[in-house]
Amino acid sequence: MWFIAEDLINGILMGAIYGLTALGLTVIFGVLKVINFAHGSLLMVGMFVAYWAVTLSGLHPYLALILVIPIMFFFGYYLQDIVIKPIFKAEKDVREPITVIIVTTGLWYILDNLTLLIFGPQYRNIQDNPLRGKMLEIGGMFISVPKLWGFSAAILTALAIYWFLQRTRMGRAIRATSLDRDAASLMGIKQYKVYNIAFGIGTAAAGIAGVTLVPFYNVFPSVGVLFDIKGFIIVVLGGLGSISGAILGGMIIGVIESVGPQFMTATWTEGIVYALFLLVLFVKPSGLFGVRYDW
Amino acid sequence: MTRENFQKLSAALLLIVSFGLPLVLRSPTYLHILILLYLYAYLTTSWNLVGGFAGVLPLGHAAFFGIGAYTSTVLFLQYGISPWIGMVLGGIMASIVGVIIGLPTFKMRGAYFALATIAFGEGMRVMVENIDYLGPFNLNGPRGLQIPPLNVGLANLMFVNKEPYYYIILIMLIAVLMLTYTISCSKLGYYLNAGGEEPEAAKALGVNVARCKLIAMAMSSFLTALAGVFYAQLTLFIHPKSVISLDLSFEIAFIALIGGRGSIAGPVLGALLLRPVSDFSRIYFGHILPGLHLIIFGTVLILVMIFQPRGLQEPLTKAYHRLLDRLTEKPTEKE
Repeated sequence: MWFIAEDLINGILMGAIYGLTALGLTVIFGVLKVINFAHGSLLMVGMFVAYWAVTLSGLHPYLALILVIPIMFFFGYYLQDIVIKPIFKAEKDVREPITVIIVTTGLWYILDNLTLLIFGPQYRNIQDNPLRGKMLEIGGMFISVPKLWGFSAAILTALAIYWFLQRTRMGRAIRATSLDRDAASLMGIKQYKVYNIAFGIGTAAAGIAGVTLVPFYNVFPSVGVLFDIKGFIIVVLGGLGSISGAILGGMIIGVIESVGPQFMTATWTEGIVYALFLLVLFVKPSGLFGVRYDW
Repeated sequence: MTRENFQKLSAALLLIVSFGLPLVLRSPTYLHILILLYLYAYLTTSWNLVGGFAGVLPLGHAAFFGIGAYTSTVLFLQYGISPWIGMVLGGIMASIVGVIIGLPTFKMRGAYFALATIAFGEGMRVMVENIDYLGPFNLNGPRGLQIPPLNVGLANLMFVNKEPYYYIILIMLIAVLMLTYTISCSKLGYYLNAGGEEPEAAKALGVNVARCKLIAMAMSSFLTALAGVFYAQLTLFIHPKSVISLDLSFEIAFIALIGGRGSIAGPVLGALLLRPVSDFSRIYFGHILPGLHLIIFGTVLILVMIFQPRGLQEPLTKAYHRLLDRLTEKPTEKE
């Protein structure tokens, strides 16, 4: 049974990182009510920023956060301001504009292929990385150290976003806009600025996820696609717009992926994940944990 | 010359040119590009039946394409059944699957529907990749299936030259356009439109929106499967990543959206404008600027959605009508 416990723990650790990659998606959906199809690409951009920050400065991978968080926040802020805002203005009365899905997919194409153009298709990883391949041995179980770091980063980021939304003035404005954007506008909240900031936070969260992935994952232009679909599945499992749901949904996927191969061919686990996703969509589209919005 | 005569004349001219093109254009490369262009125009027009008329955003149509390709290929390889019969059977298979998947998904709202269809398409790919034998049928998992080009001929939908493929897909495209036109003028077309724009109002007027959407889904998946069979016979090699890929699903949807969903000319125009861009940028810049066509694609997509949300067909039809006015005005004055 030991190896299953080991898989379970590693699955939960990796799952929390999956949750972290999906955290931005759920924040953006909670406020803007759109599914950002470019989220995987934002994660990829975050990974590239982190990779270059670490490679050029030679610092500990996690110190890259000092650079990644502001860069990604403003990247997301202006992305929403320039590209997505015009569509919101055009489709004012549509609650869930489908056009935004299409535009974010356009962004995905552009970001992925622009990166491919500039940096080429090769896989990169950090040289002389203090975290790569490190294992912690606890009672015969081997636990990956970079994943443990990623797990802590995921929990801390989720708590920080939660705290920000609950305790700060801006957070309250964001929550008000997510509940009813017209009423919030009437109360003097600048709706589009709130959207920009929410998009910035979501993008910064993708950047943090990028930093946690870089120590043990390869960086390449289409890496986002691997996390994109997974992100959609996680946020629907956990309930769209729910922060704790994203982390828990991520853990479910992580556990299925790591424990599953003990019982079946590893490639089948992906099929199980899709089946579970469709089942949840059909039976309980508000998510496994039954929360509509927890903020 | 009156307006109707002019339009008839230009339509006849277009037909003559498209049918005569292979006589002039001898290069198999260019013919192949044209065949793919027509194939995409066909696929986007079929997609438009659900994505345009029914007003939802399906992003898993590659699954139907793959069902068609795999059904006909397995039947041909294992039982020697002609791909023409495979087309019918594959189409029926696809529309059954389409209805089964449509039953629960059509109840969902916009984004959820898109996500469910993505999961359905990807789930289908994972399944085919992991199954070597489905009962007695050999799917050969991720390695795919190869059709040996032995009994070449019309009966087996397999040719040495590109010309027959060109004519077959051209006829398929014309047929699907005529079908779309008939549907858009029929009761079903109006019902679908009404259900897509204002489902509550349509329901109040007694339109069975869910049933109409299911019919549209069945037709759309049937037609998409036929294209899958054609593609399998054209390339003679199919594998899960080529026929059931997410990229294919997205490309079909986005070409139709750029052209203009819900209109008849839109999807074809989209394919006509975008396929050459992607083919030629791949041929001429593919080695120095990889992914250039997708950057163009994404940029066009965003610009069209911001400035022409009804697609490129709207300004183009307007321009066409203006041209028509200018060309047909003067002769009528002389009469």
